[in-house]
Amino acid sequence: MRRWSAIPGLPPLLACAGLLVLWELAARGAHIDGLPPAHQALKQVPAILLDRESLFHIADSVRRMLIGFALALAFAIPVGLAMGRSGKVAAFFNPLLMVIYPVPKAALMPIIMLWLGVGDASKTLVIFLGVSLPLIYHSYQGARAVEEKMLWSASAMGMNGLQRMMRIVFPASLPEIFVGLRTGLVLALITMVTSEMIARQAGVGNILFNSLDMALYDRVYAMIVIIGILGFVLDVAFERIRAWFVAWADSQHQIAVGTS
Amino acid sequence: MIAIERISKTFETRRGASHLALGEISLDVADGEFVSILGPSGCGKSTLLYIVGGFVPPSTGVVALDGKPVTGPGPDRGPVFQEFALFPWKTVLGNVMYGLLERGTPKVEAEAKARALIGLVHLEGYEGFYPKELSGGMKQRVAIARTLAYGPSILLMDEPFGALDAHTRTGMQNELLEIWERDRKTVLFVTHSVEEAVFLSDRVVVLTRSPGRIKETIRIDLPRPRRRKELLVDNRYQRLVVEIEALMDTPAQRR
Repeated sequence: MRRWSAIPGLPPLLACAGLLVLWELAARGAHIDGLPPAHQALKQVPAILLDRESLFHIADSVRRMLIGFALALAFAIPVGLAMGRSGKVAAFFNPLLMVIYPVPKAALMPIIMLWLGVGDASKTLVIFLGVSLPLIYHSYQGARAVEEKMLWSASAMGMNGLQRMMRIVFPASLPEIFVGLRTGLVLALITMVTSEMIARQAGVGNILFNSLDMALYDRVYAMIVIIGILGFVLDVAFERIRAWFVAWADSQHQIAVGTS
Repeated sequence: MIAIERISKTFETRRGASHLALGEISLDVADGEFVSILGPSGCGKSTLLYIVGGFVPPSTGVVALDGKPVTGPGPDRGPVFQEFALFPWKTVLGNVMYGLLERGTPKVEAEAKARALIGLVHLEGYEGFYPKELSGGMKQRVAIARTLAYGPSILLMDEPFGALDAHTRTGMQNELLEIWERDRKTVLFVTHSVEEAVFLSDRVVVLTRSPGRIKETIRIDLPRPRRRKELLVDNRYQRLVVEIEALMDTPAQRR
């Protein structure tokens, strides 16, 4: 006998359906303006996605998010790896990071807006900060955990410090770096929306809060659903990329062959 | 020739005190000689090996290879560690080829040479496997092949079979002897197993308890090629094992 939970993809679908039913029932029972029934909100999803202007806003948000993410990648990984391998570099950056880490990056947005205005630069910078910190942390952890004997083996082959960093420490830390990247991706999405809430000018957050101002609640919920779907799609794509890069470290590939 | 001259190593402890890990050690190892360093755990025998490898600087003394002092690691000395230390993101073939490509060997040639070495350590068919998918014994064979690949004249083996089960261990000792008897590289072999040291070596150096100093050097005059089955019933082998075990048991001499 096969258990229903063994069918791939079924449990999450059921969970989503259950949530929608609950939402629908709650909305019909409560009669609050701010809580339209699920079917009404979902009807707005295709409407938004077919509208050129909204699509432009969404694409604009995603573009900023990817730029912020890419900048963080280029900055945070080298810094984290260097911190992991050098006590001096770690001692230099650590206090700085400890202060910035717990601060919600959106809280920096007003100040950054004073410097850089309400345009792309401010929002991208906030996304960059949000992604950088977990990424530095995980790169640092990954680099610190690299087995010393592995580095010795490499230096016996004639590799110098920089070569070992790029070709031993970096690949050896990749599984941990990807943990940071995933956290970073979620944070990028969050900071993307919050930055647009504060500096309203364009983007997903702008549509959301303009709709709220105009009391178009079904549109507000539709936007939340779209952001959720966007996050889901990004996460699935990310997992594919991750699996391709670090298949060598995944436990599900463990076959444990033969004796001796 | 490896000339180890009055080497000692002092570590700074966390509290700022210093701890003498390795006393003054002087030892010459001839080309093609198989020398085991035997001692209780914590006597600094691995540290001595790391110093010869250039991975750890000595506090005093100097190691010279054919008259040239060691200043750092180099491809003339190939390490094999108890922890295997394979590159987990590379396949078996990728690991064995790594040092060759690093030394500038063209890819086609490197691959052919790596495949031959994989055959030498009996891992044909596993070229595309990742280290994670291999057992301990197989990992150590890959590590040995990876080190042999770039052609070091000296092998530095740091308890290479220490993490393996007894059965795998004896199998690996036989294979190592076979390989060594073929090309007679200089080997410095750290172990805490008396049988292993006697079985493999031309000479066994017994260190004292921490700080490690040379307690005694014993020449192993057993004929080669050595066969395990014959040795185990050989009186001379048995006597050497008993003699060295007795040496290891005597309590540390008070200084």
